[in-house]
Amino acid sequence: MNAELRDLYQDMVVDHAKNPRNFRILENASIAAEGYNPLCGDQLTLYVKIDDGVISDICFQGVGCAISKASASLMTAALKGKKREEALELFRLVHRVLTDGPATESDDRRADLGKLAVLSGVHEFPLRVKCATLAWHTLRHAIEGRRERASTE
Amino acid sequence: MIRSVTFEKTVFRDPPAKFEAGTPNVAGAVGLAAAVDFLEGLDRKGLAAHERSLLDHASALLSAMPGVRLVGTAKQKASVLSFVVDDVHPHDVGTILDREAVAIRVGHHCAQPLMERLGFPATARASFACYNTIEEIEQLAEGLCRVREVFA
Repeated sequence: MNAELRDLYQDMVVDHAKNPRNFRILENASIAAEGYNPLCGDQLTLYVKIDDGVISDICFQGVGCAISKASASLMTAALKGKKREEALELFRLVHRVLTDGPATESDDRRADLGKLAVLSGVHEFPLRVKCATLAWHTLRHAIEGRRERASTE
Repeated sequence: MIRSVTFEKTVFRDPPAKFEAGTPNVAGAVGLAAAVDFLEGLDRKGLAAHERSLLDHASALLSAMPGVRLVGTAKQKASVLSFVVDDVHPHDVGTILDREAVAIRVGHHCAQPLMERLGFPATARASFACYNTIEEIEQLAEGLCRVREVFA
């Protein structure tokens, strides 16, 4: 298989797409935010519970391609226990890696990303970047308390 | 189209001219004429037979693949083949086929109510024309094997 394709659909990405973590409705969520990608129809609802500024629980429901589902699943796994500001910082980091490309070796972006580094292959597929960023835009909307639905457009 | 533009004010021309957005689609019109000329120069019946044979071959090949389902199998249809791969979103199908040098269309095809009725978020869709070959159909089928491998 093509190397870029292998980078995109890494085992961990396929695993999270097939068995998304935290894929459920959270009844007592502090915030529920909607995200939608009008071009491809991907849709998700993100539920976040915040206690004393810390994300104590986060989960999602929705339909979408493997990339959008894996990104949402990995995001919820990475954010549990994080402070609001830390979550926003991670949003900025992931967004930069997806849109500008993975970090060079001298850069420590990859290290900061942890498991989320598996998403960096998406950069080589411009059409799929929005699939991967949908959950993250929705997260930002949720945390910043915006009322309108998050959109990738 | 406008009557006048300054930093302070824009005055549009009266309708319908105000709705005309600048340069008309000249390249589109020229391209359409070239396409018509091209098709006029071909044997219409032979063309239809070629497209039919590609469609029949692709339908037979894809319907025999495990996990691949054809969507729309009317007897008299254009040489367009919609399908879904079980447990794989059409956008992932499209990306993988793309890297196998097979370009198809994926999405809701501007038919969201139909997608809802069928119960799919989207479908993958290959279309065949006079310039396509039987070998390319085989390439499509092989690409679909790659898709199944990635999500095995």
